[in-house]
Amino acid sequence: MNRSIRRLYLTLAAGFGLLILMLGYWQVVAADGLKDRPGNEQTAQADKLIDRGRIVSADGKVLAASRAVRVKGQKVFQRLYPQGDLAAQTIGYTSAGAKTGLENTYDRYLSGSFGTQPLLQRLNLKEKDGANVEVSLDTRVQAVAQQGLSGLRGAAVALDPRTGHVIALASAPTFDLQLAVDDFDAIPREGGPLLNRTVQGLYAPGSTFKAVTASEALESGMYTPDSMFPGGSEFDTPGGPIRNFGGATYGPHTLTTALTFSINTTFAQIGDELGADRMGEIMDAYGFGDRPPIDLPDVATSGRRQDGKVLPNDDPDEDTARLAIGQEKLAVTPVQMAMVAGAIANQGRVMAPRSTIRVISRGGSLVQRGETEDLGQAMSPSNAAELTSMMEDVVREGTGTAAALSSVGVTVAGKTGTAESDDPNRNQAWFIGFAPADDPVVAVAVVIEDTAETGGVAAAPVAASIMDEALRVAG
Amino acid sequence: MISPRTRELAFLIPAGVLGLVGMASVASARADGFEPGPIPGALGVLAVFLAMHVALRLRAPLADSYLLPTVGLLTAIGLVELYRISPDLAADQAAWVAVGGAVFIGVLVVLPDHRVLERYRYLIGLTGVGLLVITMIFGTRINGARLWIEIGGGQTLQLGEFAKILIVIFLAAYLRDKRELLAVPTRRVMGVPTPPMSALGPVLVFLAASLGLVVVLNDFGTALLFLGVFLAMIYLASGRVAYTIFGLVVFLIGSAAVYTVVPRIETRVQNWLTPFDDAQNQGFQLVQSLYALAEGGVLGPGLGRAFLVRGDGSTVVPALPTDFMFTAVATELGYIGGVGILLGFLVLIQRGFVIAAQANDGFSKLLAGGLTATIGLQAILIIGGVIRLIPLTGVTLPFMSYGGSSVVTNFALIALLLIISHRSRSGAGVPRVGRRDRAAMAAARREREREREAVA
Repeated sequence: MNRSIRRLYLTLAAGFGLLILMLGYWQVVAADGLKDRPGNEQTAQADKLIDRGRIVSADGKVLAASRAVRVKGQKVFQRLYPQGDLAAQTIGYTSAGAKTGLENTYDRYLSGSFGTQPLLQRLNLKEKDGANVEVSLDTRVQAVAQQGLSGLRGAAVALDPRTGHVIALASAPTFDLQLAVDDFDAIPREGGPLLNRTVQGLYAPGSTFKAVTASEALESGMYTPDSMFPGGSEFDTPGGPIRNFGGATYGPHTLTTALTFSINTTFAQIGDELGADRMGEIMDAYGFGDRPPIDLPDVATSGRRQDGKVLPNDDPDEDTARLAIGQEKLAVTPVQMAMVAGAIANQGRVMAPRSTIRVISRGGSLVQRGETEDLGQAMSPSNAAELTSMMEDVVREGTGTAAALSSVGVTVAGKTGTAESDDPNRNQAWFIGFAPADDPVVAVAVVIEDTAETGGVAAAPVAASIMDEALRVAG
Repeated sequence: MISPRTRELAFLIPAGVLGLVGMASVASARADGFEPGPIPGALGVLAVFLAMHVALRLRAPLADSYLLPTVGLLTAIGLVELYRISPDLAADQAAWVAVGGAVFIGVLVVLPDHRVLERYRYLIGLTGVGLLVITMIFGTRINGARLWIEIGGGQTLQLGEFAKILIVIFLAAYLRDKRELLAVPTRRVMGVPTPPMSALGPVLVFLAASLGLVVVLNDFGTALLFLGVFLAMIYLASGRVAYTIFGLVVFLIGSAAVYTVVPRIETRVQNWLTPFDDAQNQGFQLVQSLYALAEGGVLGPGLGRAFLVRGDGSTVVPALPTDFMFTAVATELGYIGGVGILLGFLVLIQRGFVIAAQANDGFSKLLAGGLTATIGLQAILIIGGVIRLIPLTGVTLPFMSYGGSSVVTNFALIALLLIISHRSRSGAGVPRVGRRDRAAMAAARREREREREAVA
């Protein structure tokens, strides 16, 4: 009988072997997948036990912090957002397993699960705490941007054209970030406040896109700022005639004048003459068709879009006359248009937008630097300088005079845009620009939804106030 | 040479220390300051194990050294984890451990030789079935299964647990009787070697009766356990895998039939195959168990530091202290701790089968093997269930799950194993043979071998 006993033992031992393998599967192999499943209470609870790092603004304001509280004798951490509705969508929240904004992008660092930290924590050699993230947002500029958008729907982006670091990312309407962790359902949803319009909102760019067309006009060597155009009241295309804003008719004029007064017929002609290859080339160079490499989650891609898909920039079938004036399926994000303004300001060089300066451990040592990234030259420095002076004219005497900061002795370069819809009360008003024109420290893109006004009336003053504050802060 | 009991004591000490350290660890994670609450209970459990050790010294000094320390270790971790989930449940369980210890000592005292049980096989078998019948008639339905008998004061007894041990004793005695008949099939039925119906018939009737009762009680886990133990013991008695395979095939066919009839089983199988499809209702426990295990990871956060109890006092897996005890331990102590528990059970059954192999007579071998298989199969059934290796069936995890009946039964079971171990090592029961007898026996054996060679 002993042989049977041994075999029975081996059979049961094999059963235990299977248990050991299966347990290993759940606790080691499949563990990460299980933790990421929505509704996993364990993950949400584990987050509460972590003394999450702070998010601090460039001007030293705490945007997010953790506070220890005792719940039923157990020490847990509560997330605090002391700045209320300031940059709410960009900072993001962490609650019930969902993470958005910077809380999402830098979760690995904020929750202390980078490098050797998880191992040290498991071995109880280190507290469960995360590193601090220093972002480039400036609360003062951010506040001015939100002030300019208050009561409206829209977005404003301000960045340093030299580095790509964002100074303000305002999306209106906004919400009280603290509510997102305390009582999520109490957030009023009217107007889509959770959407970060700066990187997720897709808008028709309207005439701001003429800055892109003008870039290629100069780069192609086919035009100079002084090239003459015949004017007129419409430009014929296979898709129907293109007319000027308000049905205006212009006499013969230069390229500079065409940009200054945003003359559709002339830019339609330029787009038509440049063709699909050249238009595609400049759009590629500015980053259209690619996801802007900003360190935020769920960033939308700008470009020619149809049914949620991004089409190639150089489609030979496209109507480049319409494309040149910002129509033809174009849908762009404010951050993409800020990249355009920034590149013109930065001698034609496109910088990747960045929201973070660095990640610092609790001990004060550098964990990660928010490296700047050069995305390439969209146009030559001399052409950028020529386009800058053309854009100065827009603000000095053209459609964008409301963006002028001549009262504080600063020259602003910019371009307005008004994307019209069938409903005259539902225009999208744009302004992109930078200042000071001769040595730029701030580039902006402002868009306001559902307005009866033009970009020059609705968006330009908001852009002016943001640039003014950014210049004041920069000293 | 260290005596078995001294070695046992040497192994009991680390088990006890581990239990106390575990209690301290939980207490430090739980409270702001020092919490003296669990100390008397912990010391009491320690005293119970020392009393069991002393009883072994007096009544079974030669018994296996490793069983009691391993049981002590599993019991200690179980109590610590229960204390972590709910101090009230742990206090309850500590009292049941004391009762179990008393029963353990009682078995040692009243049963100096387990072989007397062989004589009362039918009485014991009928008592086992009787306990199930009582449960069927007077039982209270909890969670859909009628397993519990209310004994007043809110306390319940799970008579099926006690029945389990009695039925193993009966099977050991009965199969030993019919062993030769089972081992030598007289005919073939559909190609399967089949022993005479006179030998197999009563066993099949008995099995059908207990299985039928369990189906009526709606307790699939216990039915599976009974069947597994029965097949294991048939295999031990006959040495023929064919019976086991035949039994499994019959069981699978039967399960397929039951699957369509008993909705509870269908649900269990569905939850096993696709737990995430109904993660908020039917699949809730299993999904929560897997989430907890994943969060525990390799090393685990430590005793008292995992998220097992919500702010309102409910456990993340509703049946955490009973069916899902293993989940609780493997979550807090991680994969390393979970494997440790599994190895603990492996040591337990290894010692049990060594005792069976060392036993002198067929009844003792069958009894020790059957009791050991009961523990091993029960552990595999419930642990396999909570980690989704097999469909979840509600049986307790021996020595660790919350539940008095389970603790008392398993302590009695260990006492029986230790008595068998002691008896086989003391040589009692085997007629003492002198030197002259031995020489005569050797001569006879040589004679037989010569005859065999001549025949060949």
